[in-house]
Amino acid sequence: MRPLVAALAVAAILVVPATAAAPPTKTPGELVVGLAMPSAGFQVGAVRGRDVVLARGFEIDLARALAKRLELPRVRFVNEPLFSTLLVAGRKDWDVALAQISVTPARAKRVDFSSPYLAADQGVLVRLGLPPPRSIAALRPLQLCAERASTGGQLILDRIKPNKKPRLLENPSKLSYELFTKRCDAIVFDAPALAVLRRQAPDRYGPLVGRIATSEKYGIALERGNPLRPRLNAALKRLAMDGTLERLRKRWLGTDTAGLLALR
Amino acid sequence: MAFLQGEQVGYVERPGSTLDAAVKALLAGPTKAEAKRELTTQIPAGTPLRSVQLNGSIATIDVGEKLATGTNVESLSARVAQLVLTATRFPNVRSVKLLVKGGTPLGLFPGVVTRYPITAKAVAAPNLPPPTTPAPPPSGGQSERIRALQLRLDELGFLSRGSVDGKAGPRTTSAVVAFQKWAGLTRDGAAGPATLAALASATRPTPINRGTGHRIEVLLDRQLTLVIDGDRVTRILDVSSGKPGFETLVGSWKIVRKEERSWSVPYKVWLPWATYIVGGYAIHEYPDVPPYPASHGCVRVPSWDAEWLYRQIPFGTLVTVIGRSR
Repeated sequence: MRPLVAALAVAAILVVPATAAAPPTKTPGELVVGLAMPSAGFQVGAVRGRDVVLARGFEIDLARALAKRLELPRVRFVNEPLFSTLLVAGRKDWDVALAQISVTPARAKRVDFSSPYLAADQGVLVRLGLPPPRSIAALRPLQLCAERASTGGQLILDRIKPNKKPRLLENPSKLSYELFTKRCDAIVFDAPALAVLRRQAPDRYGPLVGRIATSEKYGIALERGNPLRPRLNAALKRLAMDGTLERLRKRWLGTDTAGLLALR
Repeated sequence: MAFLQGEQVGYVERPGSTLDAAVKALLAGPTKAEAKRELTTQIPAGTPLRSVQLNGSIATIDVGEKLATGTNVESLSARVAQLVLTATRFPNVRSVKLLVKGGTPLGLFPGVVTRYPITAKAVAAPNLPPPTTPAPPPSGGQSERIRALQLRLDELGFLSRGSVDGKAGPRTTSAVVAFQKWAGLTRDGAAGPATLAALASATRPTPINRGTGHRIEVLLDRQLTLVIDGDRVTRILDVSSGKPGFETLVGSWKIVRKEERSWSVPYKVWLPWATYIVGGYAIHEYPDVPPYPASHGCVRVPSWDAEWLYRQIPFGTLVTVIGRSR
């Protein structure tokens, strides 16, 4: 566990009062959620300017479940056309922001983060008809592919060290197409994104066989010093414990990537 | 109206139709008579139309959330293609600005840029590089048992030419599946006792219909394609045709359209070595040929047989699609 995450966990235990007053949101009774649409499986929808008229996905349902747990009757979504805007230091017109934001020390200086809600390890998705590899050694004889200049590509070179030269492709859509047409045996990419890919075209790929831990985590961003944070963490913890988080992940992403076999 | 037929769009004209009426009719889906011609739609039943407006040459079509139901990429992109191709059939409409619940869709239709008005040309343009020749399928170690199996399959016309090498692999498995389909056995691709016994006493398949000359028969119940010369079946191929709701059209046609690299406009996928039987129904290469009907109506052929079969079906060849072959 990272120092940041440990600190948050402790804060959650200490600060939450036994009898809760109304959660401190910008507008009483309303949770305003910042988004950076689109991201398949996580958040897609329709917008008029910044106003979101339709939203759905894992992070949308998670935000709604959190609001319910916080006893906030209303949820409103606003969309930031630029992802980076969410992470600019300063005042925000939203209470929380969800956009597959990886928690990093540099970002934690500009915004506060909740405890993580998803592990973003690297996943291994194989082509149709391939006997599923169960270890890093079993990946070595395969034609592996990854996106150029990506974590996955680096992982192939540093940790897997395949017998055949890996193919590094320009973008994720080429990557998935080469897997579909069986010119790649397996692709290494962000595990949650691979889970979504498989969900979108289940008969084009083989299974998501495993993950290789990189300990990246997605957290909910808040304005620095936002007093909502301990309450949010407590709510998140409850959603994890009562199985809601798991259910939503399964519904929208198809596969629980944290529960995948860790390839060694 | 741009409905779907096999892997392509099938147009239906209704005289005197306005843009508004055409979009409404598209959302309502094919009529019973049109459905009999195997015209289908990917637009969910009951998708409401909120408004249609024409500003200059841009038609703004605002539909209900239902249009974006589900997560299947092929289905979602086909819906946009159907709307855009329906509206742009009107000469005064150049592009379509698609709105869902009054808002600009973001990520609802993966692979389709919906932020700006969409032209028919943009819908039809491939968004993926054309496929290159696939790597030869891997095969296992040599054995006399496999060689004997291959010789028998070859003798009966089930194995692709030059594949007798004594090595187990996808070609042999596919030939075993083809034989199992013909003999009505379990389609598991394994040469078990029942399959071996049936192989021992089998004779080469014969054409279903009487006929002369070089021709093709596609057997939907058995999921096989027969290459025929006169009254002799020269080759039997393991294929996969249209899944329920996308049944391949039954009938006889002479081939008039062939494309080495064909692009499926609605589903956004390459169809290499495509011989079009009729409308959007083609015999083509596909990476995955499961032992059951799986396609949008086309006849999928494994990669190692696709080019060979393409060359076996020159223009004018008679192709007969048969629903029940026994």
